[in-house]
Amino acid sequence: MVSPAIVLAFIPLIMTLIIRYRHHFLLFYRAVLVRMVLDCTTGISREERAFQYLLTHSLPGDPDSILDTFDHWSSRVEYMSNIGPKKGKVLDRLITDNAPLIVLELGTHCGYSAVRIARGLPLGARLYSVEMDERNAAIAEKVIRLAGFDDDTVELIVSPSEEVIPQLRERFGIDCLDFVFMDHWKRCYLRDLQLLEGSGLLGKGSIILADNIIFPGAPHFLRYVKSSGLYQHRIHQATLEYFRGIRDGMAELTFIGTK
Amino acid sequence: MKRKLTTLKEAHEFVDKFEGSLGKGKGKKFYAYKVMMQKKWMKFQRDFENFRTACIPWEMKIKEIESHFGSSVASYFIFLRWMYGINMVLFGLTFGLVMVPEALMGKPYGSMPRKTVPKSEEATAMDFSILWDFGVSNCLSLYVVAICYFVHFMHFVLLDHCESMSTHILSWVTADPGQPGMCIFFVFKGFSQYSVLFYGYYNNQRAIGWLKFRMPLSYFMTGVGTIAYSFMVVIRTMANNANEEGGGDDTSFTFSWKMFTSWDYLIGNPETADNKFASITTSFKESIVEEQENRKEENIHLTRFLRVLANFLVLCCLGGSGYLIYFVVRRSQKFAQEGLDDYGWWERNEVNMVMSLLGMFCPMLFDVISALENYHPRIALQWQLGRIFALFLGNLYTFIIALLDEINLKLEEEAIVRINMTIWEASLYNGTVAENATAPPLEVDPAVVPRGPCWETMVGQEFVRLTVSDTVTTYITLLVGDFLRAVFVRFLNYCWCWDLEYGFPSYAEFDISGNVLGLIFNQGMIWMGAFYAPCLPAINVIRLHVSMYLQCWAVMCCNVPHARVFKASGSNNFYIAMLLVILFLSTLPAVYTIVSIPPSFDCGPFSGKHRMFDVIQETLDNDFPAWFGKVFGYASNPGLILSFILLMV
Repeated sequence: MVSPAIVLAFIPLIMTLIIRYRHHFLLFYRAVLVRMVLDCTTGISREERAFQYLLTHSLPGDPDSILDTFDHWSSRVEYMSNIGPKKGKVLDRLITDNAPLIVLELGTHCGYSAVRIARGLPLGARLYSVEMDERNAAIAEKVIRLAGFDDDTVELIVSPSEEVIPQLRERFGIDCLDFVFMDHWKRCYLRDLQLLEGSGLLGKGSIILADNIIFPGAPHFLRYVKSSGLYQHRIHQATLEYFRGIRDGMAELTFIGTK
Repeated sequence: MKRKLTTLKEAHEFVDKFEGSLGKGKGKKFYAYKVMMQKKWMKFQRDFENFRTACIPWEMKIKEIESHFGSSVASYFIFLRWMYGINMVLFGLTFGLVMVPEALMGKPYGSMPRKTVPKSEEATAMDFSILWDFGVSNCLSLYVVAICYFVHFMHFVLLDHCESMSTHILSWVTADPGQPGMCIFFVFKGFSQYSVLFYGYYNNQRAIGWLKFRMPLSYFMTGVGTIAYSFMVVIRTMANNANEEGGGDDTSFTFSWKMFTSWDYLIGNPETADNKFASITTSFKESIVEEQENRKEENIHLTRFLRVLANFLVLCCLGGSGYLIYFVVRRSQKFAQEGLDDYGWWERNEVNMVMSLLGMFCPMLFDVISALENYHPRIALQWQLGRIFALFLGNLYTFIIALLDEINLKLEEEAIVRINMTIWEASLYNGTVAENATAPPLEVDPAVVPRGPCWETMVGQEFVRLTVSDTVTTYITLLVGDFLRAVFVRFLNYCWCWDLEYGFPSYAEFDISGNVLGLIFNQGMIWMGAFYAPCLPAINVIRLHVSMYLQCWAVMCCNVPHARVFKASGSNNFYIAMLLVILFLSTLPAVYTIVSIPPSFDCGPFSGKHRMFDVIQETLDNDFPAWFGKVFGYASNPGLILSFILLMV
């Protein structure tokens, strides 16, 4: 019914879409298809595969080596959405410049960013890392201990973030957070930010770093931040971890509080 | 002493000049009166200027768009308005000098064979399938119907052919009781083919009506006049714009230019101002990076190879699209030969659809391929425009070449019909009078006379269909690509996993170069087809009118300002230069067909002549005194004409 000529006329459109979104197609392939195939063939989850790779290829007790091995695995073998080397540099710089004493991390996943932050912390500082999923938390615990950070420096909390944040004051005796790193589900950024404000844990000059605000994106969070007037914000333009072609960004918020 | 004398002289002159206002002098009253008149005149001039500015159509709309989107987007709309002006003049020429005289003073519908729907086509002229052949062009058809009604109405009022007209309309409206409303809708085959809209209707009678209006001459001269007027206007605008060349961006003092000339003072909207600020900052950063890169050694061989590869890919794409169009036109000829009834809507409109689709999709592909080339953005834009230009031109010329093949086919068919006609006439004569002297004219129902194929009307129809399908494609692209996208982003952003505004679809930006090129090429098609279908400028006027409102609304409603807001500096003259080239290239095929192909023998104002321009010779012979003809003969010496043209240019 429809002639072949009209179908042929659509070829330039298809080619354009393929070429323009080639990075997204590649991301889909690596993050979804390869993962499904390996899950079926090996029978263990992605995080456990990562941990096994770490055990065999990295130096225990050396955070730099662990991070490098992680990067190598994520870019060559399989894809995992850690913060990555480029955005990690921004994180390192922020930590070393501000030297926070109490750091909260929402969304540990495998412990990559926890190791990264702990590496740059000053003496006596403490990192509280919140992770919702228990299996991931178990692996993250092993990774952090492998890196050589003990319980004084990094404490892992296994529970959903909206339950933990109101309890931080009583259970852990935290008065004020100097640095918050958000890397969990993007839909929860706004909710957790408001919980933090509400529980009074943010002081003047507290820094909040939110990852992946452009891809996949956290539009409500950004809109709230820009309009609330409580924060000075700055967006670091970067690319998605391990993919040079997809634009992404991190939002750095400085809490200035109401007058 | 000399100084004193000069001062004295100056004082004398001053007193003489202002004698009236300096007190008691004889010129006081007169002077006061003169001053008052001068003031009144200046005030009148100011008011008149204000009135003139207020009369310019759509000025407020364009100013609003300019304050939101910057002067480059507004320059597109100013260009559109200018084209609308040109098209109004063309419409006025064709309507006033060609369509109206023929409708008012020519023979009415049904009096001659060429003016009647032949019996064989009568059944299908009202057929629903043909009416819906171009179903989407209903609105245009409606307006065209309105024009036809108006013309027929004038005819009815002035010449009082009540009976034929009313029975005509009645039969027409009640033809199909099942679809009463649909009967009103024309299409460019069927009924409207036999009306003033197309070439075939016109009678070749030398002078019609009580004004002795020279119809064929007027038709020819209007055709020539539209082209000449267009040339004049375009060249004059180019000359005007050339004087206003602002400070261009040289390659030296880039940072000084950027620092002092980047701001666009016509911006009135805070969001646009923020965007502009951000884009200036970005452009500074880019310049710094560019300077750094220039100091670096670059791998020139790789760059050259990539550029050659990109050009090769583009050429492949152009060749592929040209071949596809050629293939499709050949297929449609095959369909036409086998009769169009076997095929559905898709086959009938294949050519137009394929041309529109290719025109839409190939520029995107060129854009993506140009990422290989690593040019400076301004040069990349020029390459992109050049490639789109080549694409449209190639498509248009392939279409025309295929059309020429069809014309040749029709000419052959015409020869056969001529032979048949003599046989048919002979058979009629056998029935009545058996004289072989000059036979009296027979009373035959005009619908029964066998008809020759009219290649000019066919050409006109093709252009009309192309124009309409191009218009429809543009509007659909606008609605789907901009409006639906904006609706999608706006309402689904709350429940989507990634940020639709920053991420993949996001709101569209207004594509200036694509739209301007579309406008220019549309105009080229009008110029090409206006000689064979006098209704084309009318259609274009409607199209531009609708486009103006639709695009103004779409821009304000669905688009966001460009991330890089840039000024419309020298690009205006570039577009007008392209328009000039297109004008030249589109008159070539029309001129070629006029000069080399004989007109059809039974339709149009030039039927029966050997070549169309014979009408000028005829006019010179018959209407002007003899000496004029001789002078014209000397003046039309090719050498003289060529040197004159060269002088003018």
